[in-house]
Amino acid sequence: MESFLAPISSYLNTLGPSVVLPVLITLFGLLLGLKLGKSFRAGVTIGIGFIGINLVIGLLGAQVAPAATGMAEGLGVSLDIVDVGWPSSAAIAFGSSIGAMIIPLGLVVNVILLITGLTRTFDIDLWNYWHSAMIGALVGAVTGNYLLGLLSAAVHLALILAIGDLTAPIVQKYFQLPEISFPHGTSAPYGLLAIPMNRVFDAIPGLRSLDATPEAIQKRFGLFGETLMMGLILGLLIGILGYGFDSPAEDSTAILTLAISLAAAMFLLPRMVSILMEGLMPISEAARTFVQKRFPGRSFYIGLDSAVAVGQPSVIATSLLLVPITLLIAVVLAPAGNRVLPLVDLATIPFIVAVMVPIFRGNIVRSVIGGGILIGAGLFIATWIAPTFTRIAVDSGFALEDGQATISSLVDGANPLTGLFFLAAELGTAGVLATAVLCLGGVVAVRFLMKARDRRALAAETADGAEAQDGAGA
Amino acid sequence: MKKVLIICGTGVATSTVVAAKVRDHLAEKGIGANVVQGKVMDIVGGDVDADLIVATTDVPSTVTVPVIRALPLLTGMGQEEVLDEISRALS
Repeated sequence: MESFLAPISSYLNTLGPSVVLPVLITLFGLLLGLKLGKSFRAGVTIGIGFIGINLVIGLLGAQVAPAATGMAEGLGVSLDIVDVGWPSSAAIAFGSSIGAMIIPLGLVVNVILLITGLTRTFDIDLWNYWHSAMIGALVGAVTGNYLLGLLSAAVHLALILAIGDLTAPIVQKYFQLPEISFPHGTSAPYGLLAIPMNRVFDAIPGLRSLDATPEAIQKRFGLFGETLMMGLILGLLIGILGYGFDSPAEDSTAILTLAISLAAAMFLLPRMVSILMEGLMPISEAARTFVQKRFPGRSFYIGLDSAVAVGQPSVIATSLLLVPITLLIAVVLAPAGNRVLPLVDLATIPFIVAVMVPIFRGNIVRSVIGGGILIGAGLFIATWIAPTFTRIAVDSGFALEDGQATISSLVDGANPLTGLFFLAAELGTAGVLATAVLCLGGVVAVRFLMKARDRRALAAETADGAEAQDGAGA
Repeated sequence: MKKVLIICGTGVATSTVVAAKVRDHLAEKGIGANVVQGKVMDIVGGDVDADLIVATTDVPSTVTVPVIRALPLLTGMGQEEVLDEISRALS
């Protein structure tokens, strides 16, 4: 069996996701009841998205890598791992062998958890399955075992759904989004860690009452939010540090070219992902109707991307402050072992803090401190996984320029859950299985917490009790 | 031609879904409009070149262009009402 499958899998690998995924997506669309034309168009659109992302990653690597090398040689700040950001991470994850299976797998996992009552969330955002696919691909690459990769992806999804349930009441109240939850691979784990952090902050006398207003910060730091300006300024900065100014004509050319190229890369990457999304959308819509038709009258939280929360003023203010702070942290932590140069994901910080902010009750000072600590710790995770991350990228058909040795990302390369699953994979099969059991234990524990919360709500207002009891009886 | 700016957190994820639905709806109604996507961080400064904003997230208070909340277009509940509101605002 193995020897029969090996040439096929090697052939598919050579074709790469830009060819294989269009075919897979077309088939999957047909299975969900889409017409052939619509389904095929969706598939081809996804292939185009892959080609586009590949081009921009090439540009990013070719431009940033020489400057990063220069910075390491000239200043001794060795930040040689390029942060290619979430757009690339998502494409790499969907392009991996796990990614090809993640949509059917994710749907099955979500439906099983809904039926067994282990989650209340139906995640209608199939796009965000990429977070789980990334975990699966990392575990698969480290252990060399495809099934362990699939298992980890499924467990990760279950855990994310549970965290989404757990933080849902806070999220719904703070963002005024009734019946919504955020089972989102980026924001959910940080939200979970913010809960104990908030207790600690409460106990520190000086910090307890400290806060800032979002309006003033938006006015002063607004520039850091605009991707275009952020790329340009970063490019100038890295260029000056990397190339110096020994020969004015030559160096100024290099610096200015880097600045406009980095602005272009950071601006273009999300645009390319938007093409990928456009292709995925008909499939996502078809899958949603497919599931909702089969669970009529059943009420559950609707799982969304935390993109809908990012506009909240305190989230924006926290993120604007964290852009320069993250860069500073990366440089300060370089002697301690960080090698990641934050670039593309500086624009993704709002997603890292989206669920932390409501847990800190909108307190910007706490959100910035909490976010800074977790991002700082995350840089070591992102550094640690970088070689494997790069290997997956190459396996997924992304051509990396010579000299751009390693890539990584903050989202989800620096994510606490990425760290957990990667550690498990490094420990081998037993580690992966133990983590799976541990995480599923966590999922069950959340279920009991939710029941307890229902009972408290029931005691608080007996008038509205019928619905809560319905949940507790399942 | 009027310009509709679809805003979300990334200018990519949820806004792609909303933009497609708005485009389809406007084409159906025969309303010509330029539908573009953007991310909320880019309009924090308050400079917006559009006649209408359709947003899946909060829009900064500095923005003076009329805003329609588009969450129903993501969840599917109350979708028709929001689409009608958009075509009314443009005609």
